[in-house]
Amino acid sequence: MWWKTLSVALIIYAITAGMLVPLKPGITYVSPGVVKSGQDITLRVFGYNSFYTKARADEIRIWLQFDESNAVLGQKTAILNDTTVEASFQMPSGMPEKGTFAMLNVIVDHPVDGVSLLPSAVEFRLDTTATSKAGWQDNPIEQLHIVKDLSYPYRNVIYESIRNTYYHVPMWFALMFMFLGSVIYSIRYLKSQHLDDDKKAVAFTEAGLLFGLLGLVTGMLWAHYAWGSAWSNDIKQLMTAVALLVYLAYFILRSSFDEPEKGARLSAVYNIFAFASLVPLLYIVPRMFASLHPGAEGSPAFGSQDLDNTMRMVFYPSIIGFSLLGLWLAQLRYRYAKIQDVLYDID
Amino acid sequence: MQALPLFFTLLRKEFVIEFRQRYAISGIFLYVFSMVFVVYTASIKVQPQVWNILFWLIVLFASINAVVKSFVQESGARQLYYYQLVDPVILVLAKIVYNTILLLVLSLLAFGAYSVVAGNPVKDMKLFAIVVLLGSLGFGIAFTFIASIAAKANNSATLMAILSFPVIIPIILTLLRLSAISLRLIQDTSYKRDIINLLAIDTILIALTFILFPFIWRD
Repeated sequence: MWWKTLSVALIIYAITAGMLVPLKPGITYVSPGVVKSGQDITLRVFGYNSFYTKARADEIRIWLQFDESNAVLGQKTAILNDTTVEASFQMPSGMPEKGTFAMLNVIVDHPVDGVSLLPSAVEFRLDTTATSKAGWQDNPIEQLHIVKDLSYPYRNVIYESIRNTYYHVPMWFALMFMFLGSVIYSIRYLKSQHLDDDKKAVAFTEAGLLFGLLGLVTGMLWAHYAWGSAWSNDIKQLMTAVALLVYLAYFILRSSFDEPEKGARLSAVYNIFAFASLVPLLYIVPRMFASLHPGAEGSPAFGSQDLDNTMRMVFYPSIIGFSLLGLWLAQLRYRYAKIQDVLYDID
Repeated sequence: MQALPLFFTLLRKEFVIEFRQRYAISGIFLYVFSMVFVVYTASIKVQPQVWNILFWLIVLFASINAVVKSFVQESGARQLYYYQLVDPVILVLAKIVYNTILLLVLSLLAFGAYSVVAGNPVKDMKLFAIVVLLGSLGFGIAFTFIASIAAKANNSATLMAILSFPVIIPIILTLLRLSAISLRLIQDTSYKRDIINLLAIDTILIALTFILFPFIWRD
């Protein structure tokens, strides 16, 4: 069937594109991390995936940015190697706004690599309480080289693990589709009393449970790198584990009946009930508690800033691919159950 | 019979059965008191945080034990008799109302006994009363529905626990949060949203029960 080929093709595409496309150049860290007002410093910037030697030193511009209109431009830029670049800064004696310290962003503009930014990279400490814009202005951050190529965004904290977006998130989409299919067949069973519908509902639930486990495992792998530990009692982790328990209970319920019709009817009822309880578990309760997941405040999914167009080109095909694979798995499980019936002469 | 008189007749029947089989209800009450006493002997000085969690655990376990008999205690022959006479929705509604009242009494008794032995850290009595009422309602609806499924299976006591716990978690998390607010353990002025969440969950559960119960009870 065409959709099985499509699912395999899309998954292969998601795995190859997801793993092979490089990240955009970024800044890992800068040194020193603290500067004082009025100081002359040499700032060393350590890049990631960067090719600083591909341009002349005077073409590379480095800023220490205070806000939209205030920044200091680095002088005497020197390239040490592909991932290290230096520039000297004359720090102003005052700060544009009141305060004793400020976190400055580091921005590097490179004609080949494009722009890279490290937010709040350098702490600027003030000796006086003077508010002056002297030295901050006349360094407009403009004429930036915006490079459009095939690469994924560079994000601090998650780095290369951003690729997990293509495997972790589609699991939940596939799970939702599988459980939706399962609940539709359960409703159909209650109307038709046809055992085939029940078998399809079970097959979908099995596929959905598999995706749930995979989603949990990929999520734990990701959490291990991004949050520091595989299981951090994040409310979404907990609720997902509970949701999977609901469906494990479904299988125990099925196996505790002697007559197949009775078991099918009651487990169909429980399946509808379980699906309805999945909605508060996955979409209402997580909003009430703080979560480490992106977009935790108010929204269960991630925000629009977390995906760029290159990522969308892999993300959406991956969702379709894994969902179709789930459909295929469910079909195989359904046929297996049918063959078992023939073998044991139940039909 | 009209729907309303039928409902009251069925509700009365539940009370009469309970009154005739006093050992069941006495057993549950004794169960609550034993649990409270276990908590007391295990930890003499109960911190408000622990008080909150333990109170709801006692109510949760007592509720499961109180509701599980709801469908098991009536024989198959009598179920068949009801099947010919009454509308399943009214029957299950009577059971839900009865179980909610039972659980409310149970939680109030548990609260009384618990505050005697472990002290009463509740600061906002009005809110706490609302929380207990909402808790009894939520448990009453969810456990009645699960008990009706579990009663049909072979190992109903185990199934009751397995099937109900995952479903009850959103309810009990919200209850714990609300009751922590009434104990002034956390400050939150927007707790009305939690109450609305709880009522929304209750509404979903009761709607599902009305739709699905007719499929459960006929054999």
